[in-house]
Amino acid sequence: MSELAAAVPSPPQSWTLPHRGKVGMAGLIIGESSIFTIFVVAYIYYIGKSLSGPTPREVLEPPIFFTVCLLSSSVTIHFAEKFLEAGNRGAFLFAWFLTALLGGLFLYGTGHEWHHLIYDKGLTISTNLFGTTYYSLVGLHAFHVTAGLIMLVIVLLFGLAGRVGPEHSLRVQVLSMYWHFVDAVWVVVFTVIYILGR
Amino acid sequence: MSAQSSVNRIDASAAVPSEIHLPAPTAWPFVLGLGFVLLFAGLLTSASISILGAFLSVAACVGWFREVLPREHEEVVPVVPREIPIRTERPRVERFPTAPEPVRAWLPLETYPISAGIKGGWAGSVAMAVLACTFGLIKTGSIWYPINLLGAIVFEEPFRLDPAQLNAFHGNTFLVALIFHATGSTLVGLLYGAMLPMFPRRPILLGGVIAPLLWSGLLSSLLGLLNPLLESLINWYWFAASQIGFGVVAGLIVMRQHRIPTKENIPFAFRAGIEAPGLMHKKDGGEKQL
Amino acid sequence: MASDAIAIRAQGVASRPWVELVHEWITTVDHKRIGILYIVYALLFLVIGGIEAMILRIQLIVPQNNFVSPQVFNRMFTMHGTTMIFFVAMPVLFGFANYFVPLMIGARDMAFPRLNAFSFWLSAFSGFLLYFSFLGGNGLYGAGTAPDVGWWAYAPLTARAFSPGHSSDYWTIAVLVAGFGSVATAINLIATILCLRCPGMKLSRMPLFAWLNLVMSGMVLITITPLSAAQIMLLIDRYLGGHFFDTQAGGSAAIWMHFFWIFGHPEVYILIIPCFAFMSEVVPVFSRKPIFGYPVMVGATVTIGFVSMSVWAHHMFTIGMSSPANAFFTITSMVVGVPTGIKIFNWLGTMWGGKIQFKTPMLFCIGFLFQFLVAGLTGIMLACAPFDWQLGNSYFVVAHFHYVIVGGILFALFAAFYYWYPKITGKMLSETLGKWHFWLFVIGFHLTFDPMHIPGLLGMPRRIYTYEPGRGWEIWNLLCTIGAFVQAIATLIFVGNMIYSYFKGRDAGNDPWDAWTLEWSVSSPPPSYNFAVIPIVSSRRPLWDLKHPEDPDSQYE
Repeated sequence: MSELAAAVPSPPQSWTLPHRGKVGMAGLIIGESSIFTIFVVAYIYYIGKSLSGPTPREVLEPPIFFTVCLLSSSVTIHFAEKFLEAGNRGAFLFAWFLTALLGGLFLYGTGHEWHHLIYDKGLTISTNLFGTTYYSLVGLHAFHVTAGLIMLVIVLLFGLAGRVGPEHSLRVQVLSMYWHFVDAVWVVVFTVIYILGR
Repeated sequence: MSAQSSVNRIDASAAVPSEIHLPAPTAWPFVLGLGFVLLFAGLLTSASISILGAFLSVAACVGWFREVLPREHEEVVPVVPREIPIRTERPRVERFPTAPEPVRAWLPLETYPISAGIKGGWAGSVAMAVLACTFGLIKTGSIWYPINLLGAIVFEEPFRLDPAQLNAFHGNTFLVALIFHATGSTLVGLLYGAMLPMFPRRPILLGGVIAPLLWSGLLSSLLGLLNPLLESLINWYWFAASQIGFGVVAGLIVMRQHRIPTKENIPFAFRAGIEAPGLMHKKDGGEKQL
Repeated sequence: MASDAIAIRAQGVASRPWVELVHEWITTVDHKRIGILYIVYALLFLVIGGIEAMILRIQLIVPQNNFVSPQVFNRMFTMHGTTMIFFVAMPVLFGFANYFVPLMIGARDMAFPRLNAFSFWLSAFSGFLLYFSFLGGNGLYGAGTAPDVGWWAYAPLTARAFSPGHSSDYWTIAVLVAGFGSVATAINLIATILCLRCPGMKLSRMPLFAWLNLVMSGMVLITITPLSAAQIMLLIDRYLGGHFFDTQAGGSAAIWMHFFWIFGHPEVYILIIPCFAFMSEVVPVFSRKPIFGYPVMVGATVTIGFVSMSVWAHHMFTIGMSSPANAFFTITSMVVGVPTGIKIFNWLGTMWGGKIQFKTPMLFCIGFLFQFLVAGLTGIMLACAPFDWQLGNSYFVVAHFHYVIVGGILFALFAAFYYWYPKITGKMLSETLGKWHFWLFVIGFHLTFDPMHIPGLLGMPRRIYTYEPGRGWEIWNLLCTIGAFVQAIATLIFVGNMIYSYFKGRDAGNDPWDAWTLEWSVSSPPPSYNFAVIPIVSSRRPLWDLKHPEDPDSQYE
């Protein structure tokens, strides 16, 4: 040992490794994408295979406004991140609040659409294959939005209490990765349900 | 100990801390696991189980949250100083003799790049098409006759036509023939580019004339068995001529390209980057030292 | 050094009340303890799954046997398959990964220690939930106990009409929740391997163990989740009246098969790749040579990872797919044999010219090499669609995949146990008992699974609870059952060896095998912080560099 100690190598000049939170979230996103892929495949496979009505063309209206809400929340969360990094607390809170508000609006939109489909059009999850695949896919996405929204609100509450600072910037970035993912999935879901499927 | 070798330091006596911070033990993951499973178990038994599970899950989430935020709980573990001997009872190292690899085959030191084969193939395909169309013009007065025959190799539509229609243009057959001709020529060109440097002496004679002749002969004797109808429509002299046209033109084009050195004569271990000691020779300086 | 190890354990076992000890294990977030929990938990289920296998074999020992009823037989093969895959193989491999990945890459713990504990408890509780079905499976409708739909749970067997009550829901939910745990562990392993390597441990210097577990974790992310998705659909069908797999309403039963096997086939590779990792650590040490073809090994593993995702439908040739689909899946299934073959040659290349020491871990590795080769060959046979039309769902298939799972995975696991037991406990396993274990198990294995191919060729379908005499199947089934008993005895010797050696075994010291990876540079068992000083490495075999300072590997990199 002793003569070895004399030959201790100097550590490599720079040794940087990726941030574990980001890698972990990337892993989660890969796994979740796989789940969504299966649901999307099932949706596409069952397009037009329902034995009875109502069909998508009869009952579905593309929720353009709420889609714009969700997609623009990706922009606001991006700016919130930057504001937090720069230490601009007020701007961060405002952008973050906007993100949560837009996410909430989107969820309201989904709820509204479902209410309309169930009570006005008589489409439930057990009505036909379209109902089964539609509610599952949109529901799965809405579940992810809800989970994201809960976390957004928790961060917002702590932010209002003054407990979120630039030192939490990396954690907030991890959360925003998730939110971007949820938005990206909606682009796919929207394309499949309201464009391909109708 | 050679000064330049870099050895790793493990438990070197320098700077051993007296205590180390580790994540503190916590029961919340256990509770969350239980709560989560109970939440689902309620689906199998009764709703009250799910409610209990949900309650446990929420409580555990809060507990877990407080465990990591605002500051991660840590426990301090004292370091037990100890001398870990790292030595071997087998200090002698044997090496495999690294004789130069026996020569298994003489491979060309230089060859043509892949692009040469593709260029040659395409040039040859033009020569072949010109010859074949000439044959069509002379025999039937139409360039579409050989094209329809080419399409017929993989496409059954032309066989449904009566002989007169074989001289006319058919869109789908033309498309099939075009794709077939392009792919075939590219692939043969690639093969040709790879093989030319390996032919002894007069490569053009061998690759451009003799090989196409052999190929035409083989095909004319076999096609009677494989597809007699097609065989009856082909003029084999013209067929051989167009093959030779392809071979000569492609060969000439390939020969005009620049050669690049091959890696075939570098030892296998180097090419595969396979293993260091024993197979590879030491590199000069070891790892870079400061 | 060795005396330190003893002192630590003596302190751990003797001087504290058991409540405190249990509390310590329940609240632990130490990757080594969680690893041990995983391994012990898996061994418990191994015994349970083994007993179920014995029940199956006893029932089939003679024609028209009445040892168990057909219903019980169905439950037994369902639970045997589910247990062995989800609650034995996965946890034990995760256990080894948990214990050794941080040690091998010079880290103090996993990237997310609490998440690690959570994943374990999730798997553990879902295993208990699955077995609770024997008691609670009567559920609300008074039908069924344990799940009896096979471990594939094909639709429409799982439809409400054919599986009333909650028995098959136990399968769905337990496996779904265990899957969440697996995904969390996979994320954790990836983050650990990518983010916590000690200085100098470039990806090109990582032990193959870490590399292969990285690939395995990546595969878990992409392939366990489709099963979860399919199971969520199944739950929607059963609880909310959905129609995903309901053929009466236009749904498709075949799509469940696709979704299941999109998970199911890569799953086999998820199980075998960590075993390749064991092989790649054990074989070089006992051949006294560095691993042959390190970059090729990594490349082959990654290739297996990719190709194995596109072979799933070779499990479904018999359902009648289109010719292009059959051709595609035949070709990809054959292609996946190429990188696997490369690996076998690399291990042989490592052994070639080495000074091989035939210690018990090495014996199991050599057994693995032969048996995995045979398993691969029958696999290639079954990958041919026409051959599979003839022998799909026969005992030939059963023999094939048990050759993979027992002859391959279990043998590599035993090698890992004998190799790393000294590091985990500080005690050597007895060589004598180990040799007994090995030879009995080899004999039992071949006595069971070699003859099992033949009734398959003679037309014996899988999953039948009994058969008529006079078909030429009797002698082969008898041999299989006898072999199963020999294997059971060998396994008991193994368990006995572990218990005996824990108390009476020879002290291991930190490095009993004269090995080269970082886990052998710390005491056995390792202190809770692993490394007092984070090591710095400059080659693939850091301990070789220390042991041969005049001739370190780093000169060649």
